[in-house]
Amino acid sequence: MTDLRSVRRIFAAGALSVLALWPAAATAQSAADTAVEAAQQYSGITLNVLYEAGLQPLDPKNFTGPLWEELTGIKINVIESPVDQIFTKTMQAHLANSGAYDVLNVIPNQMPDLALAGALEPLDAFVEKHGYGPELDMIAPVYRDNQMKVESTIYGLPDDGDVLILYYRRDIFEDPDNKAEFMEAHGYELAPPTTWQQFSEIGQFITDKYAPDIYGAGMLRQPGNAQYLFQERFRVEGGKFFDEETMKATVNSDVGVAVFEALLAENDFMPPGVEQWGFIEAFNAFLAGDIAMTISWPPVGRWAAGYGKGTEALNWIPETTVADTIGYALPPGGRPELAVGFSLAVASGSRNKEAAYLFAQWMNSEEISLQRVQLPYALRDPFRTSHFASEEYRGRWPTAGDYLDTLKAGAETGLLDLSLIQTDRYEEGIRQAISRLWGGEDPQTILDDLAAQWDELTERIGVDKQRRAYLDWSGKPNAYPN
Amino acid sequence: MTARANALADNTTVLKYALVAPAVFVILLIGLYPFIKLALTSVQNVTMFGADTSFHGAVHYLRLFDDERLWSALWNTIWFTAIALPIELVLGYLLALLFLQPLPLRRTLIAIILLPTVISPIVAGATWRLMLDQRFGPVNQMIGWIAGRDVEILWTINPTLVWPAVLVAEVWQWTPFMFLILLAALSNVDREQLEAAEVDGAGALTVFRKIVLPAIMPVVFIAVLIRGLDLFRVFDVIWTMTQGGPGTRTETISIYAYQMAFREFEISYSAAIAFLVIILLTVVVVAALRRVEVAR
Repeated sequence: MTDLRSVRRIFAAGALSVLALWPAAATAQSAADTAVEAAQQYSGITLNVLYEAGLQPLDPKNFTGPLWEELTGIKINVIESPVDQIFTKTMQAHLANSGAYDVLNVIPNQMPDLALAGALEPLDAFVEKHGYGPELDMIAPVYRDNQMKVESTIYGLPDDGDVLILYYRRDIFEDPDNKAEFMEAHGYELAPPTTWQQFSEIGQFITDKYAPDIYGAGMLRQPGNAQYLFQERFRVEGGKFFDEETMKATVNSDVGVAVFEALLAENDFMPPGVEQWGFIEAFNAFLAGDIAMTISWPPVGRWAAGYGKGTEALNWIPETTVADTIGYALPPGGRPELAVGFSLAVASGSRNKEAAYLFAQWMNSEEISLQRVQLPYALRDPFRTSHFASEEYRGRWPTAGDYLDTLKAGAETGLLDLSLIQTDRYEEGIRQAISRLWGGEDPQTILDDLAAQWDELTERIGVDKQRRAYLDWSGKPNAYPN
Repeated sequence: MTARANALADNTTVLKYALVAPAVFVILLIGLYPFIKLALTSVQNVTMFGADTSFHGAVHYLRLFDDERLWSALWNTIWFTAIALPIELVLGYLLALLFLQPLPLRRTLIAIILLPTVISPIVAGATWRLMLDQRFGPVNQMIGWIAGRDVEILWTINPTLVWPAVLVAEVWQWTPFMFLILLAALSNVDREQLEAAEVDGAGALTVFRKIVLPAIMPVVFIAVLIRGLDLFRVFDVIWTMTQGGPGTRTETISIYAYQMAFREFEISYSAAIAFLVIILLTVVVVAALRRVEVAR
């Protein structure tokens, strides 16, 4: 079994050799080298880094942390927090002025709230001073243009290419009998669905034929996850969250109701109890071959293909039965949700702001980030143009090229999570609405309540203030499909 | 009394105060200071975006009256307490009665019964969430065996089942606490009085009403008070099982206050909510204590 230390050694050796060779090969110093050189003056200090609990921190604990200490003498202390507590922990540390964290992982749609609250350090001066601009520009545009700034000030370095893409079983989709039967029933080719109508028809077809052994699909349905699918689909179907003039919520439009009704109807061809499914449940079912389609975050695609098999940190993952048959595609509508994601930021209360920034720059740089997104146990997903094109990564498993091409396509067309002042309160409304939907309440009533809840919240925050924030967000190229 | 004796008495009094002063100081520090801070914060305007510590009057308290979600959460809390507390009390009493008898492996069984009480409520909630899971949970599986077919019961999602599900978890965890306290109380009921009543031909109900109940009443009162306060503050089990959902169906006052304080950072408003809860609980506790005093 490959243990963490040996994986770390392999990647550390790779990174060190890249670092050693890079200056000779390049005419200018790389951003990683610049960061290391500038950070050496801070040798001996410890940086506290806030990370999502679980697999994410294995990167700074086993790879980047020890390597950074070796290069600069700066220790990295990783502090973990469940993902839904990261905002709370960040704000608590800021309000208490505790200086508990130096480097932060910020969920991009929470960045405006944190920036307005003064919890984040503006990074423009550091980017300029350490010449990071050119490498920052090489981040895939959708992340660079949308997950880095608040009102033209840089507050975070986009560091995670989260996108919800479709995974499907090619053996079922390419089976000649299935193809013929489906063509006869529906008059078009059995292939990854490009519309939600097709998704329903294909899902029902597979369930009718294979259930209870295999169901047509199994999706993220826990409200915390399902809200992203709703956000995506609502916009793909033409919905707008607010009226731009009045800031009245329009989530209860006919589109909203139709999407809610469709979400509910689709549960019928999914496994019993799918309403309780989160990431792990859908992931396990897909690996076990119990479902033919799912939409989820990028780690599903590589782990289901068997990447990282034998790694100690991944020994909790069930044996994949779909490694040779997994297919990748954009979800119906072709505009996947860029759900969650992370940007590296510096806490305004940090006592070591420049050192914190330099660690973030180094992690985020071309060379180091390419190593990080290939760590089999880590959850950082490709976010740089060079990551998608990396021959090394494309050779990791037989269909890695398809995987990276799909992620790249998703990064080009993906839709941003809604981001406003006090975003979490608006998202909380969606989460509650979805849980009521699964509870059997009337979609129109639920969405009317949601709209009323949002309107009340907007009034309290200030209509003009929130309208400015909304226009700032909706003006971004990936807020709505054009 | 001589002057020397007076001086000695004065010194003794000073010494007494000096000895209790550190304890009083600590109690004031950890009890009174947060209370005063809470009261002050509730009349300021501290939010995630800034700490306006100027006096804002009763603005947050007035907002409480318009906040339907708050009153719904408060009603959920009262309702939940009113249902769970008697169930725990009755079940605990019946169990205690059973264990008053000499049973084989009595001590071992008592230890096993007490196990739920010693685990963290978060763990209890997570355990019950798994127990009730559609895919992996044994509860639906067992119901399926009885029904003779697979069943799909979404305990934590179905609005009509979610409260019973939470109630079962809560009662499962805390009935043993009632059982333990009541077992101790029942063990101390005067045997001679019970035997005398039996000799006099008193019925079981009369014995319970006239002898057992008065004897265990002070202990029952304390147990009910402790559990009542705990139930009013219930958070962990419900948060783990439902996060207050579906919608806000199982949201209690503690969950709502947590949401306001630590997710939305409406610090002043959540201070007002906390103050409201303190006032409500103080009224209930003082009234209850006074009642006991009167009874005594």
